[in-house]
Amino acid sequence: MSIELSLILTLLIPLLAAWANMIFRNHENLRDGATFIASILLFGVVVNLLRQHAVSPDISVELLSVMPGLTITLSAEPLGLLFATIASGLWIITHIFGVGYMRGNNEEHHTRFFTSFSLAIFATMGIAFSANMFTLFIFYELLTVSTYPLVAHKQTMDAKKGARTYLGILMGTSIGFLLVAIIWTWHLTGTLDFVKGGILEGKIEGPLVAVLLALYVFGIGKAAIMPFHRWLPAAMVAPTPVSALLHAVAVVKAGVFTMLKVGIYIFGIDFLSTTGASEWLIWLASASILIASLIAMTKDNLKARLAYSTISQLSYITLGMALATSMGALGGGMHIAMHAMGKITLFMCAGSIYVATQKTKVSEMTGLGRVMPFTFIAFFIGALSIIGLPPLGGSWGKWLLIVGAADAGQQVAIAVLMISSLLNVAYLLPIVGKGFFLANPEPKPAAVGSAISPKSKIAEAPLMVVLPPVLTAIGCLLLFFYAGHIQEFLMPIVTSGK
Amino acid sequence: MNDKKIVDDAENLPWLGRKLLWLDKKKNVDRIVYGLYFACAILFAADFMYKKYVLVAVESIPGFYGLYGFFMAIVLVLCAKVMRVFLMRPEDYYAPNDVESEDYPEDQLERLDNNG
Amino acid sequence: MADGFPVAFLFFAGAALLCILPKGNARALLLLAIPVIAGYIIWLLPEGNLWSTSIFELNLELMRVDRLSRIFALVFALAAFLGNLYAWHMRDMVQQVGTLLYAGSAIGAVFAGDLVTLFLYWEGTAIASVFLIWARRTEGAYHTGMRYLIVQIGSGVLLLAGTVLLWRETGSLVFESMTLGSLATWLIFIAFGIKCAFPLLHNWLQDAYPAATITGTVILSAFTTKLAVYALARGFAGTELLIYIGAVMALFPIFYAVIENDLRRVLVYSLNNQLGFMVVGIGVGTELALNGTVTHAFVHILYKALLLMSIGAVMFRTGTAKCSELGGLYKTMPLTMIFCVVGAASISAFPLFSGFVSKSLILSASVDEGYYIVWAMLLFASAGALLYSGIKIPYFAFFAQDSGLRPKEAPWNMLLAMGIAAFLSIAIGVYPAPLYAMLPYELDYVLYTTPHVVTQLQLLFFSALAFTVLQRTGIYPQGLRSINLDTDWTYRRLLPKIISAVGKPAARLWDAIVQFSLRRINNIISGLYRTHGPEGPIAKAWPTGSMVLWIAILLAATLLVSFIDLM
Repeated sequence: MSIELSLILTLLIPLLAAWANMIFRNHENLRDGATFIASILLFGVVVNLLRQHAVSPDISVELLSVMPGLTITLSAEPLGLLFATIASGLWIITHIFGVGYMRGNNEEHHTRFFTSFSLAIFATMGIAFSANMFTLFIFYELLTVSTYPLVAHKQTMDAKKGARTYLGILMGTSIGFLLVAIIWTWHLTGTLDFVKGGILEGKIEGPLVAVLLALYVFGIGKAAIMPFHRWLPAAMVAPTPVSALLHAVAVVKAGVFTMLKVGIYIFGIDFLSTTGASEWLIWLASASILIASLIAMTKDNLKARLAYSTISQLSYITLGMALATSMGALGGGMHIAMHAMGKITLFMCAGSIYVATQKTKVSEMTGLGRVMPFTFIAFFIGALSIIGLPPLGGSWGKWLLIVGAADAGQQVAIAVLMISSLLNVAYLLPIVGKGFFLANPEPKPAAVGSAISPKSKIAEAPLMVVLPPVLTAIGCLLLFFYAGHIQEFLMPIVTSGK
Repeated sequence: MNDKKIVDDAENLPWLGRKLLWLDKKKNVDRIVYGLYFACAILFAADFMYKKYVLVAVESIPGFYGLYGFFMAIVLVLCAKVMRVFLMRPEDYYAPNDVESEDYPEDQLERLDNNG
Repeated sequence: MADGFPVAFLFFAGAALLCILPKGNARALLLLAIPVIAGYIIWLLPEGNLWSTSIFELNLELMRVDRLSRIFALVFALAAFLGNLYAWHMRDMVQQVGTLLYAGSAIGAVFAGDLVTLFLYWEGTAIASVFLIWARRTEGAYHTGMRYLIVQIGSGVLLLAGTVLLWRETGSLVFESMTLGSLATWLIFIAFGIKCAFPLLHNWLQDAYPAATITGTVILSAFTTKLAVYALARGFAGTELLIYIGAVMALFPIFYAVIENDLRRVLVYSLNNQLGFMVVGIGVGTELALNGTVTHAFVHILYKALLLMSIGAVMFRTGTAKCSELGGLYKTMPLTMIFCVVGAASISAFPLFSGFVSKSLILSASVDEGYYIVWAMLLFASAGALLYSGIKIPYFAFFAQDSGLRPKEAPWNMLLAMGIAAFLSIAIGVYPAPLYAMLPYELDYVLYTTPHVVTQLQLLFFSALAFTVLQRTGIYPQGLRSINLDTDWTYRRLLPKIISAVGKPAARLWDAIVQFSLRRINNIISGLYRTHGPEGPIAKAWPTGSMVLWIAILLAATLLVSFIDLM
């Protein structure tokens, strides 16, 4: 299979999956099976691309030419491949989880749900393999639109309100800022291609660099940098599989991925570093990290807590870009992978708890760990990875970011990352601690003086719901040992310069 | 805490415990205390019996270690008593369910009484 | 095994194996077997860097074996063995797995040849050990565990930051002697200091250890703090600041120990005070002093475990370890009492007991180097050690007023574990030569001289005399059901107050700002809508209207850009 074909297939497969969903809308098993096969095929194609890329990089496919220099083009580069690998790999797992969840919960409108889901993956692949800013923008908007029905899925007042906020902020920022920034860039350079070392150097100078960067940063609402973060908690009204794959992996990672792309391929790390244009962003990202963590501590709704945690963690990646050092950018790229694996675990655990007990509040989960040990152990592992503790993948992402901050001479950023770790401990681990080690106050504990500890029978959610988070938890563990390969793979994005 | 003096049934005590019942009598405790006074006196006297290697000047004072130990111990206890005035709080000071104010979980214990 | 496969992995594999073994004695046996095997392997290990791996461009040394790391690893294996024997009866898998991971991480950290490996295991000890506290399964223990975890992980992230900065500064990650000066070394120093319970950073220790389960406290007492002592000895030997830190550390906990009611907490204050001796030794930094520190760490692990085991046994049978509730247990728990007295004699450094063997080295070293004030402080601390733990612990638990409790003697496994620890404490005290032979440096020291023995006995007997006098006159503080404020007050009382004092107005202000700006934005939008919207004068038909609106915005943006460009 040639690279060109593979690239086209990455778009085609999810599209076909969406189509198959419509065709088989009356045959539940056929429909879900088709998507499952599609997800495996997609992953296979992406892995194949990964292999081919090592042999012959720099191949692109032009799909459509709007006007000379403004084309929809696909190409594979390390960062995009990493993103696509994660998204497609986790799609398989989330699909299993999603089927289990939707059936276990007796949700309605399965067909619409899975069709939109496949479309969202289609858009995600498009973003991952965009060869220029124009293509990226198109798919970026497509992703917003395709996820809208998923957020509004429950069709309650809350869901509709959440979905409106979602669409409003993401559309508003992308058209109000991002499009302006893209037009400005086009105006300056006459190209929108992603080029190693950036395209803006020498074309713009002084404080305007910072202004342009600000337009990009705020335009990429999906990166959820404060103050444009409200859409993410609002999107939590969606069913949990959506929160898991889209709002912990695909959509938000599309945001920070775009952020990294802009930093590395539009501005260029060196250009940002010499102009100091991203200095302010370090502060904004740091504030975002800390404030979001503090808000997360106050949230009793588990998914809301995780959403704020995501906002905080996304700003790690933005921070990595803003540091304007190669290590920082690498750390950002690495953190995309590590956070994706960790956070999807947490979300799927939240979903598993919901399926088994219909509980959404942290305060109601006391003592639940003894009933759902697998879910809670998976949650514990995911949480440790998010905090950045060994032996889990998250520790290396954090390590690279701290190295990047040290290289940039930004001791404040180091301090922020450290404090953030502690805040993560404070809002994630109580769930585990209370879940396992405190008795649930509702059923009467064993009578005083009896020698039997209050134990409940294990009552986990269905296998299709419990297995996926366990798998991703194991993934977090494996990432710790394979982080070296990821770093080696990403290395080209910051070395070999122009 | 029981105010009543419990009379132990020697039969129920382990062998070693029976031997140690000797300590139950106040007279015997006093004997130990007198023994301690005696030992202190001997040790003080012993200071004059051997050649000292004085590394720190104060070591040449006869019975320095004994006096230092005695007075510092008293200072320590008096200071600690003063600290209690300022620092002592009820067990549930921080939270109603603090480790201090909770009972140890019964199911993790093997609370076996010997006689009653 | 001779190829230097990391010993820590043995413990991790054991933890995995444990999960699939059937519940019961098989697991308990595994828990005993692993430290024995590990100890045997450590004993036979050759010196050198035996096992390295790399990730990114970092070269990780997982097995740096030299005399210093070997003796610490050995005593950790011994402590794990005793702790597991003591916990033979326990069937809680969480604690069993936690113990293995904890001991393995501690041993791994001791063998770490570079700072990254050290960090990884450093955090490992933090995470694994919290389960020994949480496993008590009470609300108080849960909250204590959270506080403990935050402090421990805080120490870890400081170490991480220090490591990164040092690496970028010097280009080396090797964990070797450092000098305080740069931010990096200070961060590492403080990271070590937290785990070592430096004054003002100490309170996690007294907070957490007495909250753990009975068996958990015994395990906890051995590893974390001694790992920190090892790390300081490796990284900051001869740092003068440590002498003063250590001296303060040896002194202040004894005041607390005198008035503390919970005997396990008394022992933890005493643990803190003993760490002070070790830190002084590291600060003095001569070969004699470092030998003293290592010896002290070794014997301290044994007798501290012994004391905690004996009080743990009391707690196991009575449900409490409070002075105010205990007394008169010697009749029914005589063996436990005797073991406790052996531990007390060891910690008070009576001649022929193990504490004498090590404290003497540190005191001699501080005099040799001319730190007379520090010497006097340590002497005071030694006298105090007798008073608050040497006498107080056995006295209030087993004698004092009769509490009316008549518990049964401790179970056989506890007695056996205590017996072994007591035997070792006496054996080392009587014949220290084999231990001295294992020390990192050659030691030429005559322990039992007449002056030395007489002066030590004077110090101890006169302190005991003081106790007797004070107790008989009723001046000695009796056990009262109470707690004493320590530095934890700042984060358990002061900080929440500050947060609620600042937080509420801040949240209200923030709300007001958000409300205000939302209203403004709404006004602007509805204003635009009125003029440009479908019903507005600008556009008569909605589709055209909205299209025009967007085009207008785009044009404006383009114009703006070109305008800026022209400037």
